[in-house]
Amino acid sequence: MSFMPWFPMLTVLSMFYYICLRRRARLASRGEMINSRQAIESNSRALPMSTKAVQYAKEVLDFSSHYGSENSMSYTMWNLAGSPNVYPSSGDFTQTAVFRTYGNLWSNCSSTPAPFKRTSVNFFSQDYVELAFEEPVYPTAVHILETYHPGSVVKILACSANPYSQSAPAEIRWETIWSGEPTRVNSPQSRQFTPCLKEISFPTNLLRLETNSSLLDYYTELDAVELHGVKEKPVLFLKTAAIDMSDLDDDYDDKDSCELDSLTNQLSNTGIREWTNNGYFDKLPYELIQFIISHLALPDLCRLAQTCKLMYQHCCDPLQYTHLSLQPYWTNVNDNSLEYLLPRCSLVQWLNLSWTGNRGLISTSGFSRLLKVCGSELVRLELACGHFLNEACLEVIAEMCPNLQELNLSSCDKLPPQAFSHICKLSGLKRLVLYRTKIEQTALLSILNFCPEIQHLNLGSCVLIEDYDLVASVLGAKCKKLRSLDLWRCKNITERGIAELASGCLLLEELDLGWCPTLQSSTGCFVNLASKLPNLRKLFLTANRSVCDSDIEELARNCQHLQQLDILGTRMVSPAALCKLLECCKELFLLDVSFCSQIDSRVVQELVTRFPSVSIKKSFTQ
Amino acid sequence: MFSVLSCGRLVARAVLGGLSQTDSRDYSLVTASCGFGKDARKGILKKGMCYGDDACFIARHRTADVLGVADGVGGWRDYGVDPSQFSETLMRTCERLVKEGRFVPTSPVGILTSSYCELLQNKVPLLGSSTACLVVLDRTSHRLHTANLGDSGFLVVRAGEVVHRSDEQQHYFNTPFQLSIAPPEAEGAVLSDSPDAADSSSFDVQLGDIILTATDGLFDNMPDYMILQELKKLKNANYESIQQTARSIAEQAHDLAYDPNYMSPFAQFACDYGLNVRGGKPDDITVLLSIVAEYTD
Repeated sequence: MSFMPWFPMLTVLSMFYYICLRRRARLASRGEMINSRQAIESNSRALPMSTKAVQYAKEVLDFSSHYGSENSMSYTMWNLAGSPNVYPSSGDFTQTAVFRTYGNLWSNCSSTPAPFKRTSVNFFSQDYVELAFEEPVYPTAVHILETYHPGSVVKILACSANPYSQSAPAEIRWETIWSGEPTRVNSPQSRQFTPCLKEISFPTNLLRLETNSSLLDYYTELDAVELHGVKEKPVLFLKTAAIDMSDLDDDYDDKDSCELDSLTNQLSNTGIREWTNNGYFDKLPYELIQFIISHLALPDLCRLAQTCKLMYQHCCDPLQYTHLSLQPYWTNVNDNSLEYLLPRCSLVQWLNLSWTGNRGLISTSGFSRLLKVCGSELVRLELACGHFLNEACLEVIAEMCPNLQELNLSSCDKLPPQAFSHICKLSGLKRLVLYRTKIEQTALLSILNFCPEIQHLNLGSCVLIEDYDLVASVLGAKCKKLRSLDLWRCKNITERGIAELASGCLLLEELDLGWCPTLQSSTGCFVNLASKLPNLRKLFLTANRSVCDSDIEELARNCQHLQQLDILGTRMVSPAALCKLLECCKELFLLDVSFCSQIDSRVVQELVTRFPSVSIKKSFTQ
Repeated sequence: MFSVLSCGRLVARAVLGGLSQTDSRDYSLVTASCGFGKDARKGILKKGMCYGDDACFIARHRTADVLGVADGVGGWRDYGVDPSQFSETLMRTCERLVKEGRFVPTSPVGILTSSYCELLQNKVPLLGSSTACLVVLDRTSHRLHTANLGDSGFLVVRAGEVVHRSDEQQHYFNTPFQLSIAPPEAEGAVLSDSPDAADSSSFDVQLGDIILTATDGLFDNMPDYMILQELKKLKNANYESIQQTARSIAEQAHDLAYDPNYMSPFAQFACDYGLNVRGGKPDDITVLLSIVAEYTD
């Protein structure tokens, strides 16, 4: 009986629905086919009457990595702005946006750190790029033009803050409008990716794409992003698509952790009724419960804490937080959530704050308070793309974390050069990532002088270092334990630097010399490397036009353990030399011979059949 | 006394400045292109804007109109390299830099430099060399900024007379300055000039000025008086008539190039060097003909 009063209302609603459908049909018959088609494509959530806007990205605001050089436009993320340059063609073109890595081959390296325990199972993102558009709209569709090896996009988020507005926004909300799992698309051909979007309650002109290239065979290339949207808030939602349960789950994970946290806080303060008896739980050993809950993701742990006092106690045990990765929750992690986590953080050893804290979410004082609590035990600190960092923050790290061994400042490109001078106080450092930072030579040299334990060093795209030969000679003299070194796109290392490196760092296993244009094979530098470093597992000589047969033969002779070799873009390596290399280096699993003019696709085909265990890459432009 | 003088100067300057600023309209270039590949594929653009080993581009930006020609050095064919690849990529890259606004109108040498750097950033190991000539019209300041490396060039014609022109840059006879990327084994053996070596100039233009930008294929075969004669036929500034004139200039140069008895500027130049040469110089010809007009969006 109770539904009776609802009946007239339902009738009214269904009439309204019917009227709207009629109106749409009439509009379509009037010839506005395009309009209605767009409406259908966009999940029919907008009235065809409202003003539509279609826009390409105006500007690329931020990104985590890219293939290109910092002072060029080839293969850089900045190419995502503007109209497409390549689409609908496919191939490996300079005009597109390319991330730094692909596939999972690279994760086998000793320089790649182990994953954090308790990482959320639906967090796949490895890289991101943030795009600003001219006009804020309610998005109805996003077209991503992927021109080479598509399938990397795993998440699209929209931000409530307008990057072009003069006034600072009161609150910044990031809403996931689409998410999916990494996919493997078998063809490298271009495609237009148009995911089905979730509607949002605010207009946006700031989108963020998050990608995962782990299943791809080669670098993915993105050409342009087209945002379709309406300017007024859509009144009627005729949502036809089935509700995607995974979407909801994701959202729950992303959004609620902090709110849950604060709720937990309240509950604990109000005091729950005293229960002395926990039933069968009392029979379980403390350690066993601890072990069981150690498998929960962080938001689940917070939810569990709300169930009862016993679980609250278990979930607050600092031992549960030895690995703390807040990266998946970057949209919501702020000073308050850090404050809330403080009492549980005294035993944190691995802390991941990558991607968090941007746009003022984390303050210097919030960060310092956290490090004051957990700094003494901290061994590993990930701060990639942490644009909240400033010199004071690095000073705090240097002061509070005497035991720190791993520090990742990748893509912290807003950190001023003088901030890096504090890193040299961390004398126990073993892994240091400074990719795309503004570190200067003096700061780097003092780090190398005071941190003799360094094993893994990434100096990729550090544009402010003046003399790489000097850096290499100090590395050779002081850092005897160096096992991996990334000098991707260093502008001026020569054979002298390489010689110092090869004679000093005998444990070197991974060396990335991609896009170092000043190295000439004729000086014998590559032969020298190969003969002095028999332990080499990974060697990237990307786009060094002078790599020749004698270098490859020396590698074949001396580096039996070679696993990955990239000699993209040389005209001087012959199929015979490659054959010899493949025969000698039994452990080789990655060989990139793209744009090597002597190695045509027929040769590649032959090599692939002869050496099926090796993934031989041959990129193409059409 | 001094103050009176300086005051007078200020007043004069203000008056003159006021006079010269009366023209607040923005200018633009109306440009047409025409050309011939050496092997007589008449007027056919290969892909994009390419005539034989020559390449050119015409690009517009909010602040400036930019055009350029490049002449790929044919000698690379002996190394199994397509010489047009270098010149074409160079011009395409310049075009992109302009369209994306990554340039300063006052510095065409800057465009050339960044374009050359982008070529080195390509995964494809490009080889080759090329001359280049870039012309930039700054819309608001009405100034023409140019950069020229090698023997391509431009003429500015006002009222039937050449009022400004580029200087030719040669290492020795028939060997112009050139941008190049050499294979590592031939490094040093190949002529390679820095983009900074380009000759740059600035020149104030007026409405109706004609700017002719072309590769050496034109200038080696057609002396100034013949070019001026053709330009006289140009009556108005609409695109069709410019296109027609550009075509007739290119055609005439092409015919002369294959005339064995014609004493071309190239042949005369060769005589100056003590070489006994007669006739035209068969070469790729690229002509960009522009008129300075008022800017309409």
